[in-house]
Amino acid sequence: MTDDHEAVRDLLAAWAFGALDPAEEETVAAHLAACESCAAEAARLRGTVRLLDGPPPKAPARSADGVLSLALRTRPAVARIAGHAAPYAAAVAGLKALLPELADRWATPVVHDWDAHATLAHLLAADEHLATRLGIGARVPPSRIEEGTPWEDAWDRRTADVIAHEHGRTPEETVADWAAQAEQLLGTPEARDAELAARAVTLMGMRLPVAEHFLVRAFETWIHTDDIGRALGLAVPPPPREHLGQLVRLAVRVLGLALGTGAPPVLFSVTGGEEWVLGSEDEPVRAELALEPVDFCLLVGGRYTPQTVPRGATGDAAAVRNVLERAASLAWL
Amino acid sequence: MVVPVESTGDTSVQSPADAEVHRRLVYGDESALAEVYAAYGGLVRGVAVRVTRSPGAAEDVAQEVFAQLWSRPYAFDPHRGSLRTWLSVLAHRRAVDWVRSEARHRKDAGADDLALQAIPDAGPGPDETVVDRERSLLLHSALAELPQPQREVVHLAYFAGRTYRQAAVELGIPEGTAKTRLRTALRSLAETLADPPDPALERGA
Repeated sequence: MTDDHEAVRDLLAAWAFGALDPAEEETVAAHLAACESCAAEAARLRGTVRLLDGPPPKAPARSADGVLSLALRTRPAVARIAGHAAPYAAAVAGLKALLPELADRWATPVVHDWDAHATLAHLLAADEHLATRLGIGARVPPSRIEEGTPWEDAWDRRTADVIAHEHGRTPEETVADWAAQAEQLLGTPEARDAELAARAVTLMGMRLPVAEHFLVRAFETWIHTDDIGRALGLAVPPPPREHLGQLVRLAVRVLGLALGTGAPPVLFSVTGGEEWVLGSEDEPVRAELALEPVDFCLLVGGRYTPQTVPRGATGDAAAVRNVLERAASLAWL
Repeated sequence: MVVPVESTGDTSVQSPADAEVHRRLVYGDESALAEVYAAYGGLVRGVAVRVTRSPGAAEDVAQEVFAQLWSRPYAFDPHRGSLRTWLSVLAHRRAVDWVRSEARHRKDAGADDLALQAIPDAGPGPDETVVDRERSLLLHSALAELPQPQREVVHLAYFAGRTYRQAAVELGIPEGTAKTRLRTALRSLAETLADPPDPALERGA
């Protein structure tokens, strides 16, 4: 009886909140019928909970659309768009979602020698290359870059010029230009029509269909969003699964081209996804390599070293190292 | 240039479903917002109506809560707690703020002591006295100020209708801890009633 008393005493608050399971409910009820002091305490606690209770819930006065209209006015949903541009549209939305967290923290160091403001300026510059090809006018005065300059130098130079230009403006102005340019990119016929996006153009030294250049934009936007998140101590979730799959396949294609047909063949797979033979098709596979999709992207994006990327590998270690090092060498971000 | 990635070393409890919903919210997937509303709209409105006593105000609070989740998805961190708890706590906070600001308006308009009573369709119901209505607001204000670990268990056990055992699982704490936190929380709420803060200060708050 004493044990029961102590045990019930312990349960009275949960009982008053209606948070017991049926068996405990019975135990308490039986004890309260017999124990005056517990019954008094129970009445006091339940009286307190009663005061928290409101009227019984009624049917909602507004439809879900009505309740959610304010949300969607505050932040528009990502519009439906052709599959090849959807990852970029989502990545742009993902970066916009992070921007409110940057208020007053624009000088936070992010990556390379860039603060958050410079990182946005870099994206403005990086997206501009595709934008120009699709007939969208540049928003920052042109850089003086000579014909025949290697693409990496031209790329770095343009980024440096745009960062210098944007540092003379407010972060909000840079964001507005980046967002407007992204909006224009997503409004091009090439973003909406897969046939038009099949046209190949050379950007960043890569001759790829416009559709894949849209994926490259998505990739870079996500990686830099992740950079900013890390700098702020916020975990940026990876892109939606199907988009991540598109990015992985793009990176595998580019990696395959970079490895060429002479490299010792490696069976490469991403966890929960496809597998590919990278390298020579004429020799038996020398090794197997498995990476998480996000880790693979971070390696190709230069956020992991070949030494530190978590992997599962069996077989010829030199063949595996060759693939990892080539993947890391693709990083241009 | 290679920038090493630091491991976050995260070991906290995390619902995979919440993390997936958060991911879709971050990337602007409208259907994720609709799913969250379908799952938790009732909870959010229920919390708000208990505090405001006004279905209209509860709808407004629900609008704000879902707008906050959608436009500031990083305000919710799936590594730190469940979406259910986060929405419930936010709805409660917003509802308490609504009642206080409503009361202040009435007071500024000269209604003074009848402030709460004068709130349209938020006055005492047929079985509720004005005093009860004031005591209820006092309790809800005190609940909003409870230390977070206590507040979370109360939200799950009371507003979300979980048993204390289920609440313990959702919060990743031992059952005994959940039970103790409920007891500490409810006792301190009961004491608020026995020894209320200066009503003049409270109303001006």
